[in-house]
Amino acid sequence: MKKAWLFCLLATLLSSSLSSAQEAKSARAIIAEAVVLTEDSDAQVKLINSLTGMSDPDLEPLLDAWKGGSIYLVEGADDKYIAVTLAGDPDATKKETALRLDTKEPLKDAQGAVIRVSPARAEIAETDSSIRRAMKSLLDLSKLTAPEAKDRMLAITQMGMERDVAKLPILEQRLQVETDSSVKRAVQEAIALTQLRSPDKAVRLAGCTALADIHPLSAKDSLESVVKEAEKAGDKELLAAAKKALAAVESHRTTVNFFGTLFRGLSLGSVLLVVAIGLAITFGLMGVINMAHGELIAVGAYTTYVVQCLFAEGLALSPFGMKVSLPGMHSTGWLYEMYFVIALPMAFIMAALVGLALERGVIRFLYRRPLESLLATWGVSLVLQQLFRLVFGSNNVQVNSPSWLSDNWTVNDIVFGWNRVFVIGFAVLIIFGTWALLSKTPLGLLIRAVMQNRNMAACLGVRTERVNMMTFGFGSGLAGLAGAFLSQIGNVGPSLGQNYIVDAFMTVVVGGVGSLVGTVASAIGIGVVDQSLQQILGNPVLGKILVLGAIILFLQWRPAGLFVTKTRSLES
Amino acid sequence: MTHSLLVRPIAKREWTITAVVAFFFIVVLPLLNLGGLVSDFTINLWGKYLCYALLAISVDLLWGYTGLLSLGQALFFSLGGYMMGMYLMRMIGTLGQYKKDMPDFLVFLGWERLPTFWTPFSSFSFAMIMMLVIPGVVAYIFGWLAFRSRVKGVYFSILTQALTYGASLMFFRNDMLMGGNNGFTDFRFILGFDIRSPGTKRGLFIVTAVVLTAVYVGLRCLTRSRFGLVQQAVRDSENRVLFSGYSSPNFKLFIFVLSALIGSIGGALYVPQVGIINPSEMTTEKSLEAVVWTAVGGRGTLIGPIVGAISVNALKSWATRAYPDLWLIILGGMFIIVVLFLPKGIVGVPGMIRDWLKKRGRQTEPDLPPLQKPEEEAA
Repeated sequence: MKKAWLFCLLATLLSSSLSSAQEAKSARAIIAEAVVLTEDSDAQVKLINSLTGMSDPDLEPLLDAWKGGSIYLVEGADDKYIAVTLAGDPDATKKETALRLDTKEPLKDAQGAVIRVSPARAEIAETDSSIRRAMKSLLDLSKLTAPEAKDRMLAITQMGMERDVAKLPILEQRLQVETDSSVKRAVQEAIALTQLRSPDKAVRLAGCTALADIHPLSAKDSLESVVKEAEKAGDKELLAAAKKALAAVESHRTTVNFFGTLFRGLSLGSVLLVVAIGLAITFGLMGVINMAHGELIAVGAYTTYVVQCLFAEGLALSPFGMKVSLPGMHSTGWLYEMYFVIALPMAFIMAALVGLALERGVIRFLYRRPLESLLATWGVSLVLQQLFRLVFGSNNVQVNSPSWLSDNWTVNDIVFGWNRVFVIGFAVLIIFGTWALLSKTPLGLLIRAVMQNRNMAACLGVRTERVNMMTFGFGSGLAGLAGAFLSQIGNVGPSLGQNYIVDAFMTVVVGGVGSLVGTVASAIGIGVVDQSLQQILGNPVLGKILVLGAIILFLQWRPAGLFVTKTRSLES
Repeated sequence: MTHSLLVRPIAKREWTITAVVAFFFIVVLPLLNLGGLVSDFTINLWGKYLCYALLAISVDLLWGYTGLLSLGQALFFSLGGYMMGMYLMRMIGTLGQYKKDMPDFLVFLGWERLPTFWTPFSSFSFAMIMMLVIPGVVAYIFGWLAFRSRVKGVYFSILTQALTYGASLMFFRNDMLMGGNNGFTDFRFILGFDIRSPGTKRGLFIVTAVVLTAVYVGLRCLTRSRFGLVQQAVRDSENRVLFSGYSSPNFKLFIFVLSALIGSIGGALYVPQVGIINPSEMTTEKSLEAVVWTAVGGRGTLIGPIVGAISVNALKSWATRAYPDLWLIILGGMFIIVVLFLPKGIVGVPGMIRDWLKKRGRQTEPDLPPLQKPEEEAA
């Protein structure tokens, strides 16, 4: 607190030549005093500047009122103007009560009666551009001392963008008293960037040196123009310093891009993983090519949509020309945002149910005929897609992300979006859950037994039909979870699943069919390679094409994928 | 007939039937059209069906006879279509919107002069050679890679799906200089004939019918030959074929390239008849539709794909007009029903009825019905 007080004092001394007696006055009084000095705008500016460093809550509203023309001048008894604001209900003559600006008390005439003024008739306290400028820098400065670090940050960034050399001393003072590390960094950045504009060469040099240390990404353009100037002026010292700073910024950019790409690759890999994990179970473990996997994902996404609507206003559907409307809960705030927590298990259950129906209705007849299962499930996929269109319409539906998924962290200029962080955590949870189910539960034991040797498991009394059903239901449920997740990062429409199905199959094939570890490894690998190629080529589609080509070539090297399930069978 | 013990000669009766059907398509229908009994629209529609039949035959050659389910046939189909489309685009000449001697979309993209690879396509014969070379080379490279590393079964399907997907992504891009997602359209002339006149349409129909007949007869002979037997042996047990000293990858590669070429020819004939080609033709969905035609008609026969392509598309023409919302459900349902209940397709229905009559009262067949032998299909 002592430091802050010192700062106030310093700032006051610096920008004002007025006597220290005024320090005792409140901001309100000083402004009232300034307003009436209509003849002398220099004195007004001086008075305003004398407010520097004062953290009075009245300050901003009063200055805004002045600027906005809602402060009026009333002639007092001794021919002097008195600054007033108008308040109270206008009466029949549209007059309002005048309140003294300095004391906030009603202005009274000699007889002690309250003076009432009509705003249309009264004289407005005017401002000119120099006064407004002084007000603005005063407000900027007062924001610099705001108690919230976030507000200070904003003010500093704005001031840094102005690159006004005149404000350097103020920034430097702020740097000395600033305690918040990120704000401190922002102040340093603002100082260094402003220093580049200084006419003094030594200051410019200092700016370059500072920028080389803190290498902010925003400094690139300024530094480039300094390099150009220095080249023109033939100033070798400055040129070297600016180039050094530029190199530091560039290398920082490379680092940020590298980690940014890595992070995006990891999150894309997690999306692939979430999408492919269900397929890894139905295709990898059971050998069923489920082309309707994409539609099971869409079931999950649409379930999320329905749950969201039920939490809010409800929804109206028109399947096959019928009108169905489901009433909603009309919830708002945190309750509404929790819809996603309910939607996740619902998506799992809905997709699992559809999956069970699919298994009972079609797939159980096709366990030994993978190509036929491919065709039949493709048919199912077409039917489901059309059903989505009939029920939800052929346009995309709107799924809102809860606010706890839509912010981000910025660490050292690398942006970590919460939804991407969430998908990584989500993928880890799903993998862990699947692993636990397969290796720690009795059902998992049965699943593994049936997948390894169906006939022998059957001989030992395992009800293989039932195990198939459960496994397929579980895989489908995972697809539903993937859909609930995808609804947060993309559009939800009838062909949602189609956009991911090729990727999902590729992930499973590259990882090695039947290997969960392989699926994890290949999903992360494909995600990172895809994002790196995008970064290098600057083009998402070309990157994707190259990834597909790379996968085809990769399978030359390891035809059975990364992690091969060993078998002695010739026809595997 | 040195190997007459192994390969039965094709029955005379079958040749007669083929000749009659071919005569009907090549001569009778166009004559009826000329006489005004069959509308131009119908001729055009049937021309499309016959192109689809070529595509379906190419699927069947791979899937029905060799056991390779390719989801990339639509790619070859549209590659052929694009080659023909490039020729047709050159034939527009200065009649385009911008009145320049190059395709409109290139002008739109800001090209001053025609890109080099476009120039030779003003020659019809060059375009036709490319129509065979480009898909052939793509199929050869992909097949060589796939069969060398013994990719088969489902993996082959998934990889061809990825290939098609990648290619369509590429063709959707404008800087591919192949028209981006609009593709090619607004054709005017083919070999000097106005592409919109009924006469040209009739001519294209006749050409398609002739090509289809030739492909049918050619493949009929090929699948009946020793080569065809090895091909089916690869389908039924590839390892035994390998152990008997045959190089099964080379067999598969040959068939893959051949079927790509047939698909490509189908596409090249298709484009002038529908007047448009764009990347949405080369999707997995289109490939799978061709697989359905084959499955519905009867896989492992050569007549099946033709019957399937025509009947499913006729159904589609009707259903998309009568019940536009339900067409996908009908198509999807057809997939399921054919796979579950009609493994031999339409062509196999008489045989199934015969079997059912014979076996009535006895226990039903095992889970996997044997594939229909080519010898039975004459019936």
